[in-house]
Amino acid sequence: MELSDLLSNLSLGFSVAAKPLNLVWCLMGALIGTAIGVLPGVGPVATMALLLPTTYYLPPEGALIMLAGIYYGAQYGGSTTAILINLPGESSSVVTVLDGYQMARQGRAGAALAIAAIGSFFAGCVATVAIAVAAPPLTQLAQQFGPADYCSLMVLGLVFAIVLARGSVMKALAMVFLGMLLGLVGTDVNTGNLRFTFGISDLFDGIGFVPLVMGLFGMAEIMANMTNEERRDLVTSRVTGLLPTWADIKASTAPILRGTALGGLLGILPGGGAVLASFSAYTLEKKLSRTPERFGRGAIEGVAAPEAANNAAAQTSFIPMLTLGIPSNAVMAMMIGGMMIHGIVPGPQVMQDRPGLFWGMIASMWFGNLMLIVLNLPMIGLWTRMLLVPYRLLSIAILFFCCIGVYSLNNSANEVLFIAIFGLLGYLFFKLDCEPAPLLLGFILGPLLEVYMRRAMLLSRGDAMVFLTRPLSAAFLGLAVVLLVIVVLPNIRKAREVAFVE
Amino acid sequence: MRVKGSQDLAAGLMFMAAGVAALWIGADYPLGSWQRPGTGVLPRILSWALIGIGGIIAAKGLMVRGVSLLHGAWAWRPVIMVTLAAIAFALLVDSTGLAVSMVVSMALCALGTPETRWREFAIFAVIMVAGSALLFVKGLGMPIRVFPWS
Repeated sequence: MELSDLLSNLSLGFSVAAKPLNLVWCLMGALIGTAIGVLPGVGPVATMALLLPTTYYLPPEGALIMLAGIYYGAQYGGSTTAILINLPGESSSVVTVLDGYQMARQGRAGAALAIAAIGSFFAGCVATVAIAVAAPPLTQLAQQFGPADYCSLMVLGLVFAIVLARGSVMKALAMVFLGMLLGLVGTDVNTGNLRFTFGISDLFDGIGFVPLVMGLFGMAEIMANMTNEERRDLVTSRVTGLLPTWADIKASTAPILRGTALGGLLGILPGGGAVLASFSAYTLEKKLSRTPERFGRGAIEGVAAPEAANNAAAQTSFIPMLTLGIPSNAVMAMMIGGMMIHGIVPGPQVMQDRPGLFWGMIASMWFGNLMLIVLNLPMIGLWTRMLLVPYRLLSIAILFFCCIGVYSLNNSANEVLFIAIFGLLGYLFFKLDCEPAPLLLGFILGPLLEVYMRRAMLLSRGDAMVFLTRPLSAAFLGLAVVLLVIVVLPNIRKAREVAFVE
Repeated sequence: MRVKGSQDLAAGLMFMAAGVAALWIGADYPLGSWQRPGTGVLPRILSWALIGIGGIIAAKGLMVRGVSLLHGAWAWRPVIMVTLAAIAFALLVDSTGLAVSMVVSMALCALGTPETRWREFAIFAVIMVAGSALLFVKGLGMPIRVFPWS
C-alpha cells in the first residue's frame, strides 16, 4: 500500500466529511451521543437503536457519520458521569469511576475531565489513521476469500464474541444460536420458502432489525431501570480548573500512549471493543506503576489510560465491520443495521463501490473527536444539568421514541406490537442473566452464514470437506475450536468438581 | 433433588423450549441435498444446538449452586405497564392519531412507577405531544394525523 494512496484516500474522506451538512450530522451525532452517554441507564446501543429510524431520512453518508458520532460521543459522555457522580454512564467507563471519582472528590474533577478528553482525542486520532492504514490491505485480502472461507470466518467471529462476552460462555453460545434462528425468520432467499412466519405477513420479510433492538435494548432497559431507586449525588455542580497541570500531563503521556496501543489492538478483536480495552488498560497501568497503591485513590494514570483505550477500541472495532462486513459487537451490528436501512450490503465491496462513504465516515471520526474536545469541556455544566432529568420522565420519553421510531419506518402499527414482545423477551433475558449482544450478532450473521454455506456447498458439489481443505477456512475453524475448548474446559472441570463435592 | 441454581435452570429450559418449538414448527422444511442444502438445514442444526446447550445449562442449574430465579425483585409493575403502553400506542395510532395514542401510552407508562407526579406528567405530556407533532408531522412529514378529527 502506497503512502500516496493513503493520502489520496484520506483527502477524499476529509473532503466528504468536511461538507457542511455532513459536519452538521457529525456534530449532531456527537452531541446527542454525549447527552445520552451522560445519562446513566441509557447505553450507546439503546441510543443508536432509538435514532436508527431517524437516519432513514438522511443520505447514507450522513446517516453513518451521525451513528458513528453517537457511538464515540456516548463513550465520552459516559466518562463525564463516571468522574462526576461515581456512576458509569455506560459500561466502558466502569473503570474510570475508580480513580476519576476520587480525583473529583479531591477537587480535581476539571483535571480528570480534561485528561480524559485529551486521552480520548489522541487515541481517536491514532485510531483513525490505523483504520485508514489497515482497511485497504484487509479489504484486498477479503476479496480473495471464497464462500467457504467467509463462512468459517463468521464462525470464528461468533466464537470470539462468545469467548469475550461477559458472563456464562454457554449462555452466550445459546444466545448466538437463538439470534441466528430469529435471523432466519421470513422468506428463505434461496428457495422462496417461508420459515417461522406463522402466516403473519409482517414477518415475510423477516423480523425487522429496528423493532428487535428497540425491544431488547430500549424497552427492556426501561423496565429494568424503572424499579431501581435513583441515587445520584453530584460531587460539584461547578467544575473549575479545566486545564490540567504540567505535572498531570507528564504523568499521563505514557499511559495515554500505552492505552491507545492496547485499546487499538483489542478493538479489532470481535467481541472485544471498548469495555475489554478499558479494563485491560487499567490493569496494565496498575501493574507497570511503581506506586500501584495510588490506584483507586485518584491516580491520574487510572483515568488517562482506560479513557484512551476505550476510545481507541471504539474506533478500531470499525475495522472488521468495514472491511469484512462482520460486526464485532452490538454497536457494530447497529452500524450494519444502519447500512442495511440504506440498502448498502456491508462487506469488502463497500470500499470499492462507495469510496466517498467509506473514507468520509473514517475522516468524520477525526472531526467528531475534535468537536468533542472543543465543545464538551466548556459545556460540562450543561451535561451535568442533564443528570437532573428524573428517570420517571426519561423512561416515558424513551418509550415514546421507541414506538414512534418503529412506526415511522413502515407506517406499520403491527411492528410496534413487535417491540412489546421483544421488550418482554429482553426483560426475561435480563432476569435470566443472558447478555443480549451475542443474540444480535447471531441475528445479523445467521442469514449471511447460510448464504455462504450454501454457496460453498454448491461450488464443492456437496462436499462438506471444503471447509477443511481450503487452508484459510481450515485455519479459521481450527482457531475457533481451540478458543472454544480453552474457555469451555475449565467450566466443565469446575462444574464437575463442584458436583462431585456435593 | 433440590434445585441449586434456578436462574440457570430457567435459562436452560428457555433455550430448550425455543429449540423444541423451532424443530416442531420446522419439521416439514425440506432438507435438500448436500449440494443444495434446503430451507430446513440450518434451522434444524440450530434447533438441536439450542436443545443441547439448553440441556447443559439446565443441568448445571440443577447440580451447581448458582443464582436463584428470585434474586432481585421481578419488576412486574413496570414490565406490564411498559408493555401495555407500547400495545396501546400500536392499537390507537392509526384510528385516533398521534395526540390520543401518545397521551394514553405515556400515561400507562407513567403508571409503571410509583414515583410519577401527575402535575409534572401533565406538563411533560403536553410538551411531548406538541414537540412531536411539530417534529414528526410538520418537520419530517410523517403521514400521521395529530388529532382524531384532523
